[in-house]
Amino acid sequence: MIRSVMLSTIFLVVCDFVQSTWLGGIAIFGVVPDISLVVLIWVSYKNGLVEGPAAGFLSGLVEDFLSASPLGFHAFVKTTVATLMALLHGSFFIDRLVLPILFGIAGTLAKAIAAFALHLVFGSVIHVYAILERTLWIEAAYNGLIAPIVFLALTPLSRFLVTERGRG
Amino acid sequence: MPDQNPRGGSRGHRAIAPILLAASLLCLIVSTRSLEGVPESLGLTVFGFFQRGFAAVGGFFSDSVASIAELQRLRENYRELSAELERYTNMERGIADLREENKRLKEQLDLSQDISYQRIAARIIAKDPENLYSTITIDKGFGEGIRKNMAVIAFQDGMEGLVGRVVEVGQGTSKIVPIYDTRSFVASRLSGGSRTEGLVGGQGSPDDPLLMRFVKKRVKDEIQFGDLVVTTGFESVYPEEVAVGRVRKVRVLDYQTSIDIELDPVLDFSRLEYVFVVKAQTVPDSQPDATIPATVQGEGKQP
Repeated sequence: MIRSVMLSTIFLVVCDFVQSTWLGGIAIFGVVPDISLVVLIWVSYKNGLVEGPAAGFLSGLVEDFLSASPLGFHAFVKTTVATLMALLHGSFFIDRLVLPILFGIAGTLAKAIAAFALHLVFGSVIHVYAILERTLWIEAAYNGLIAPIVFLALTPLSRFLVTERGRG
Repeated sequence: MPDQNPRGGSRGHRAIAPILLAASLLCLIVSTRSLEGVPESLGLTVFGFFQRGFAAVGGFFSDSVASIAELQRLRENYRELSAELERYTNMERGIADLREENKRLKEQLDLSQDISYQRIAARIIAKDPENLYSTITIDKGFGEGIRKNMAVIAFQDGMEGLVGRVVEVGQGTSKIVPIYDTRSFVASRLSGGSRTEGLVGGQGSPDDPLLMRFVKKRVKDEIQFGDLVVTTGFESVYPEEVAVGRVRKVRVLDYQTSIDIELDPVLDFSRLEYVFVVKAQTVPDSQPDATIPATVQGEGKQP
């Protein structure tokens, strides 16, 4: 379990570094895809309620250091998304296309809702997505589009990122 | 039956004291805010190191690809520049006269000659990993003399423009909040005849216009499309007369006592690669700062 959490966290942190340094070139209207979120969705769905949220919390904490967000913001948001996805663990058979797209979009919307919940408590220091602005919808669509590719690429890494319980 | 130790009390009881001590410490830390900013700075130092590594690898590949195209472009530029050089050689003769005239005019206007902004050149290595916040990370930090709340400017197409301010400093990297961030507010004025002041804020995206608020309604007829808006220098953060944006649209609402002006930033943030962090203090020209690269010294802005 610890091995899976640590490897997943390292993988997610690497995704964060890639997002912050290399992905500017593929931004659409300044919006970059959240690969780290899509990976987290996969890890959480495959592992269940312990490994996903733990990896989400740890990688979110690292992301807080890289971002101008208050410390704990990404940790909370990623833990929330991971928990929600982990609750679905084993409920569906993941196909190659439709479910990954739906998971990518749903995960992005869950992230937006979690950020909004924090905004209600902590006020303007927490940034939120405006529902009528394009950023949220571009990101949701982008994450949905890359999700099938990311899920497919992660399948060979199951033995590192998913526990035996999750694989079984 | 709980475990007993020679000093009495169960294992659970023994844990109470450390928990209470930890809780007390936590209360102290929160109430005194003594660690404010320290975890963030420490984290930025550690993870900024890795981020620099990623940026360097990405930079290597993109530079290699870009250098091929660059070579072709340089060849064309060489031909153009050779022709231009000839033209400039002729112009140079007139420059000495203009310098002399400029000096005389400055003396007449009684402007101070001995103030300059000292700048630290830095490269942008990363942006915020996600889309909610608008952080820019640069490859210079505490070690190079960068401190929190220093202003950041950049040059683009021959124009000096405001980028934002430093919000967090690690040992080798720093985080900047750009002027288009919703948390950014810059005291500014129209550089035209009216010199009217207002407060420029961002709307969260470099593609969205900046918004200048609290501009007096009576000057609405004097504002023209394309008018330049510059910093006032009233706060200690931003230097004076740095370009912020150009007037794009004036919003006049009957029920408001002031008008809002939409501005196009003078800088194209998507093309920014290098920035200059402005050191807060002003020193005479004759005392260059050791932390500033030689190429940057002497670029001081002289009002």
